Amino acid sequence: MIVCVAHNIISPLGVTSADNYAAVKSGRSALKRYDGLWGLPEPFVASLLDRDAYADDRQTIDEKIVIDSVSRALENTSVDVTSSRVLFIISTTKGNVFLLDKRANAFPQERVRLGMMAREVTRHFGNPNEPIVVSNACISGVCAQIEAMRYLESGAYDYVIVCGVDVQSAFIVSGFQSFKALSPDECKPFDANRQGLNLGDAAATIVFTKKDKVGDNEWVACRGAIRNDANHISGPSRTGEGSYRALKVALGDMEPEKLAFINAHGTATSYNDEMESIAIERAGLAGVPVNSLKGYYGHTMGAAGVLETIISMQAVDDHNILGTRGFDTLGVTHPLDVSNQNRATEKRAFIKLLSGFGGCNAALLMAKGGLR
Amino acid sequence: MRHSVIITPDHVIVDGNPLMHNEKGSVLLTELYRNHIGDYPKFFKMDTLSKLGFIASELLLNAEGNRSFEPREDRAVILFNRHASLQADTAYQATIQDPDNFFPSPAAFVYTLPNIVTGEIAIRNKYFGETSFIVIDDYDEKIIMENLKNAFQDPMTTSIIGGWVDCSDEEHFEAKIFLIEKEN
Amino acid sequence: MDELIYTLKQQIIEALNLEDMKPEDIDDNASLFGEGLGLDSIDALELIVMMEKNYGIKLKDPTQGKEIFKSVAVMADFIAKNRTK
Repeated sequence: MIVCVAHNIISPLGVTSADNYAAVKSGRSALKRYDGLWGLPEPFVASLLDRDAYADDRQTIDEKIVIDSVSRALENTSVDVTSSRVLFIISTTKGNVFLLDKRANAFPQERVRLGMMAREVTRHFGNPNEPIVVSNACISGVCAQIEAMRYLESGAYDYVIVCGVDVQSAFIVSGFQSFKALSPDECKPFDANRQGLNLGDAAATIVFTKKDKVGDNEWVACRGAIRNDANHISGPSRTGEGSYRALKVALGDMEPEKLAFINAHGTATSYNDEMESIAIERAGLAGVPVNSLKGYYGHTMGAAGVLETIISMQAVDDHNILGTRGFDTLGVTHPLDVSNQNRATEKRAFIKLLSGFGGCNAALLMAKGGLR
Repeated sequence: MRHSVIITPDHVIVDGNPLMHNEKGSVLLTELYRNHIGDYPKFFKMDTLSKLGFIASELLLNAEGNRSFEPREDRAVILFNRHASLQADTAYQATIQDPDNFFPSPAAFVYTLPNIVTGEIAIRNKYFGETSFIVIDDYDEKIIMENLKNAFQDPMTTSIIGGWVDCSDEEHFEAKIFLIEKEN
Repeated sequence: MDELIYTLKQQIIEALNLEDMKPEDIDDNASLFGEGLGLDSIDALELIVMMEKNYGIKLKDPTQGKEIFKSVAVMADFIAKNRTK
């Protein structure tokens, strides 16, 4: 079984997983409206790290927060990060893309390459292996976890360190603005008045290993799947094709009643949330509570799959289904069980669901103590 | 490996046999489109990485033969490269670089993710299976093959279009992809 | 207006990478989306950018696009009435 050994989140809500969970549980977010930031003519709402706090001429902010997050995750483990039996998998959509701006001259252009960014990280830790960078749009964070599961199952490594990261910039914000995908206010996942997404910075790490026996309180990554809509490179499928198929494979023969919740992608765009409601209904999971964390963090892109999995594990540990911040009234065709209040649960498993540009979708089944 | 395709700015090789062509560089990609595909106008909206991967996959699938375009979930598309979506990123950056000529282009932005090429291949062929993209800083066949072998752990995947599809700018690109079946 | 319509067709072809089309191939009144030219959601967004870039028209609400982009003739009419460039 593939087991989670340690984890960490670095975000505007804190630098430990515990601090992040506490903030989310109490309904806090770092979402703010920015007007004129980075020379952008249109205002936007985002959850951003303090860039001055990470200013450095040796490492970019992405590299720094990955190194920080991985370091903190490894703190109470006995993982020898210099061993060839340890693999790094980084999940990111745009990495150091802000270096393409001619006005940003601090680093050599080669650091725009995701592999170079990842090597900065493995070099810091003295790890001898070539890092794997998963860049599969917004589902990267779950893909990276599925990759980790596969590498561990194959026996090639003893530990896989998965770190998802993305940091916002004019490049990314302007791009989503050109798609008219951003909400002028704090986002409202699954809500009837939702107007689009917010964006966010974060780095999140999970360390995985393979074990034959697992304790009741150990988190097991049971099954994951990635499927494509085969429909359009940016618009979600009207039948939720890829999302439904990924969900079906991840769920497998697990009874839906055993799921505490589905943590959806829930970006609060008109199309995504509608599509997810279709997919969840098709998969026979309409009775399972659904939530979205985008109202606390914004969309953290390459970090999202990892960050949202960690928060979800902590919620189950806390016997809690986190409320969907920003949600008031259901605004999708298929009735989903969404609430803006925290709710109690005794269940011990959840599914993390994501979708991304390129028609890709991913689902991951996590169960405390494994499948029983 | 049952089938393979190599495309560089100068060469095109399908299953070990050179394919005739007159052009080189970016014009070569257009020539290949017109001579071997021709019925997919969306091609002209693609960035160079997507054009490269799309054409390479078309030649690969033509080599396999029996093209049906019937929806299937058992074939994965898993590609690797060094430069991610750099050519598309550079093209998009140009639309926002100058504050006095600031017109972010959605058509350019959508290609600023390396996995879009896998989506284009999935759409063309109605592949509902796994699509993924991985970046490593040097071409490494061992890493690629190990990763593709691992992908067969998905219980439904029986074949994979996998390999290297890289592009740093419109005139510099390289594709080396394979059609791999589970039994191999 | 004829000149605007012709120019507009050229601009649409360029903005949307309609490689094998010439202005003569686009009927003034053919629908741009759905049946006619078969343009999609990204094309619609790109046309919004094109209108701002070439004619100084800012569309606040993208859903307005549905009405404006009905055909080249409708689009040209809208531009003639609202252009600031």
